[in-house]
Amino acid sequence: MRISSIAWANLKRRKGKAAFLIIGISIGIATAVALLTLSRVIKDEIGSQLDQYGANIIVVPQSNSLSLDYGGISVSGVSLDVNQLKNDDAKRILEIPYRARLSVIAPKILGVAEVEGRQVLLAGVDFTSEMKLKRWWRLVGQKPQQNEDVLVGYDVAKRLSMIEPTADGQSQAVPVTEMAEITSGGGIHHHSAEQKGFRLVRDHVRIAGQDHRVAGVITPTGGSEDHMIFGSLPHFQSLLGKPDQLSMIEVSALCIGCPVEDIVKQISAQLPNAKVSALQQSVRARAETVDRLTRFAVAVSAVVLVIGALMIFTTMMGSVVERTKEIGVLRAIGLRKIQIIKELMIEVAAISTIGGLVGWIVGMLASWLILPYFSQSGLRLEFDPKIALGAVAAALLIGALSTIYPAIRASRLDPSEAVRYV
Amino acid sequence: MSFVVVNNIGKVYQSNGVDSAVCVLDGINLEIKEGEFVSLMGPSGSGKSTLLTIMGAMNHPSVGQVLVDDIDVYGLSEERRADFRREYLGFVFQQHHLMPYLNVVENVMLPLVTSKASSKEKRIRALAVLQRVGLANKSERLPNQLSGGEQGRLAIARALVNEPPLILADEPTGTLDTRTGVEIMEVLQQLNAQGQTIFMVTHNPENAALAHRIVNIRDGRMFDESDVALQSAEQGEQTS
Repeated sequence: MRISSIAWANLKRRKGKAAFLIIGISIGIATAVALLTLSRVIKDEIGSQLDQYGANIIVVPQSNSLSLDYGGISVSGVSLDVNQLKNDDAKRILEIPYRARLSVIAPKILGVAEVEGRQVLLAGVDFTSEMKLKRWWRLVGQKPQQNEDVLVGYDVAKRLSMIEPTADGQSQAVPVTEMAEITSGGGIHHHSAEQKGFRLVRDHVRIAGQDHRVAGVITPTGGSEDHMIFGSLPHFQSLLGKPDQLSMIEVSALCIGCPVEDIVKQISAQLPNAKVSALQQSVRARAETVDRLTRFAVAVSAVVLVIGALMIFTTMMGSVVERTKEIGVLRAIGLRKIQIIKELMIEVAAISTIGGLVGWIVGMLASWLILPYFSQSGLRLEFDPKIALGAVAAALLIGALSTIYPAIRASRLDPSEAVRYV
Repeated sequence: MSFVVVNNIGKVYQSNGVDSAVCVLDGINLEIKEGEFVSLMGPSGSGKSTLLTIMGAMNHPSVGQVLVDDIDVYGLSEERRADFRREYLGFVFQQHHLMPYLNVVENVMLPLVTSKASSKEKRIRALAVLQRVGLANKSERLPNQLSGGEQGRLAIARALVNEPPLILADEPTGTLDTRTGVEIMEVLQQLNAQGQTIFMVTHNPENAALAHRIVNIRDGRMFDESDVALQSAEQGEQTS
């Protein structure tokens, strides 16, 4: 016979009340688990979608010399530096410990060339990775298929009279994300109409004295792409007289749950001759978006748990009143105040542990049932022991906090009054 | 040398300030020797139970001192008084106050709950006490499966399990029929015969007479039998 034996016997005696408390705690914990799990899964989904939407890390050669501007980013060392990035550098980025977090690596060569009497900024890119990175691009035409095929920015195409307005004011622009079928199927299968209103009237352009096929024109983006011509990386490297050289590497990292600064450090260590920088604004915006979701889930969970705590509090207060005689007898036969508190706390700890576990199971089941309505990409739940432990710990904390006052009050009962008048 | 010394005890309850103070006990002096069986008699509201709870280290007196085995009970801290109750006192309550959800042996083991002895040792001790009160064969039953007399004996067993030097009994036969009351009194007498010191509050003159000594209380004051006779005589003269 120990204090815990009394607590256990009491629980068995008041099965209904114990079950009521367990259900109450379970509902609170289940709600919290479901909300936090869903928010985490959705956060990951939103995070990865955001991370795929443009680069958040830029790698350029270490340089203090002449720079060109690309997308608001200073692109250094186009031609004058000793520290040039090489094709292999893009591959070496994939060797960092956090490589699993890298969704896109897009190497580029930049340079200026004469295009039909005008100086135009050329960008040699790997079209596959570039189009994964620039998901907002819409093309009129096709994805480049030959080495000499190019994509022309809207302003360049306009100035070189490659396009003209359509009669109906609409063009057959296709999102780059849907252009995989163009290469495999050999034609445009998707016809999402854009209100851009132009069509391609000339499919060849002379760049640095060489003839190139214009595969497509990028609809206006409002960015630097509008003033550029994009070609395949090896071809433009050759055209610009910079074989194997890169002007910059754009990297998109999936940074939910990992500090982008760590990835930057790892890439810097991998490429000591490069300057690696994170686009803080982009990173912060992503973090803020996902944090808002988490904050909402935490707030709702907190409200539910506070209601649960109040329920435990009122039940335990009622229990103390109901057990005044019993507690008085225990005090009369010599139990100390702390032992009375301990007895009540053991009861609540047992109830909370069961409630926490049941709540966690119910919460995970609820998440599993609800998730398909929130996620479009078929994300699945993963068993995370930390959530289970967290659920039990939260239940224990709520149980303890809600019971401490009733327990102290019970310990202060006057034993002489308790045994005489009840 | 007295084992229990109650020295000039007074108890005043104040519910709404000094004006409504109620004096429940006034100038109570009492000594109990080791192995003595003392009964306290008095009408309802005379302060019997208050005196018992004061002697039981549960109710701080307004004035006076209680010494048990030379320990100034109310000189101890509240928590030390809890330890004192556990080590020195065994309570037998009028309504027994058994734990309905614990079986017989577990009820007896209750005062041992803080003991460092193993569960097995506690059980052996509890069963030995149950043997003394004749309940060893019903150790696994719940209290509501016992008769009134058996419940009384169980309450006595719980009071005895710590082998306290002093048993305090508050109307132990108050809720029992005559036959069962006799049964309980026999148990208390047997214990006293074995050297147990007992202080018992009772309404019942027959039960009180079984003690070595009867102490009377009325309106919070003690008086001896001769006082009673004198008072009765005075009342008789006034009425005639």
